[in-house]
Amino acid sequence: MQRQDNRLNPKDLINVGIFTAIYFVVMFAVACLGYIPVFMPLLMALCPLAGGILFMLLAAKVRKFGAMLIMIIILGLFYMVMGTSPWTLPIGVVTGLIAEFIVKSGKYQSSKKAVLAYGVWCIAIFGNLVPTFLSRDAYYEKMVSGGYGQEYADAYMSYLPNWIAPVLVVACFAFGCAGAMIGRAVLKKHFARAGMA
Amino acid sequence: MTAELLRGDAYQGLRLDPRTKMAMVFVVGIILTAGGYGGLMTYVRPALAFMPLLLLLLSKRWSAAAFYAAAFSAAYLGEIFLLSSTFGILNFILLASVGLFARFMPGLMMGYFLVSTTTVSDFMSAMRKMHVTEKLAIPLSVMFRFFPTVREEYGAIGDAMRMRGVSLCGGKPLKMLEYRFVPMMMCSLKIGEELSTAALTRGLGSPAKRTNICRIGFHAQDIPFLMLSAFCLAAYVRWLIANGGGAW
Repeated sequence: MQRQDNRLNPKDLINVGIFTAIYFVVMFAVACLGYIPVFMPLLMALCPLAGGILFMLLAAKVRKFGAMLIMIIILGLFYMVMGTSPWTLPIGVVTGLIAEFIVKSGKYQSSKKAVLAYGVWCIAIFGNLVPTFLSRDAYYEKMVSGGYGQEYADAYMSYLPNWIAPVLVVACFAFGCAGAMIGRAVLKKHFARAGMA
Repeated sequence: MTAELLRGDAYQGLRLDPRTKMAMVFVVGIILTAGGYGGLMTYVRPALAFMPLLLLLLSKRWSAAAFYAAAFSAAYLGEIFLLSSTFGILNFILLASVGLFARFMPGLMMGYFLVSTTTVSDFMSAMRKMHVTEKLAIPLSVMFRFFPTVREEYGAIGDAMRMRGVSLCGGKPLKMLEYRFVPMMMCSLKIGEELSTAALTRGLGSPAKRTNICRIGFHAQDIPFLMLSAFCLAAYVRWLIANGGGAW
């Protein structure tokens, strides 16, 4: 039934659209927790964890070059419109491409490679926090004048000291892999049917 | 007129070009969440927050307009009165709810306006005119139609779980994840298959150039909205320059 075509056909693109929509809804729900400052650094673990199943199913469903890249580009655009950060898009293009090459190197058959790819892909989520670290003073200023209040801004900044940035990048990767492994476990039946091991 | 008849939608409100709507979603979303305060922004912010209400009224989305007006003013008043009189953890929780509302509501409502007043054909036609590659246009158009479905399906799964007595109190978070996500994704996949069959019958993915019955274009009613968007964007850029790039 399925054409052995290496280019994304409309069916694949529709699947990408659907998964991106669900992924975005899940991310938005989880990210709302971030309004409580303690959760802000934790989000870098929770978001990758929550999306693992979705990503793995997409990886099993669309085994062609480009699906993951398109997904992170659209998510990056949405984050930009939501005003969280414009950094997710450029970072996402890079990590998305690396993820694509990782699954490609496994000829789209290896679920281990897909797990690894999701870890790399997830680093783009860190893009949402880049403004906090890159222009710390301006961000603080914006929070105070933006009605968050001194107390909130102080708490926010104290939970995100500069040294935590590399830790969070690693956390994105590690929890991304963990999320993908959970996803793989949950979808085992489905994966087996799809002939992916 | 014939095009409208053939399209069969009963939309009767203000007709804007999809590109105008998209530009406004961008402007409202970015400036209200990422933009600063003070100077010109003092006027730009309320103007932009008022925009979704105006557009919803003009497009005769009465209940959505009423909901937005009530929710936004409640959040706004809450921000003014409650936040200064509370401290500690209560203050944080209030900020979480009120802040979310005041910042994201206008953008989300603009998104709702865009989705509810634009048909997929209009959207695709606009995407083509902007020379956006199909690889982005198709997933995006699917997403726009799919957000309401996500909510519906999620509710249906919740109902099914309640009927069988599966609840959050089970104490097995991983199981919960499985029970929620797996049916959600499976029915989404099914919807996806139906959608792609429908799209294929409409000739999506055929090598020939597709034609589109929707004649979109800029008209007189687009001008004030485009100008307002441009003005707000200019004010935002000015603010960015004045503040050394802001908090990007």
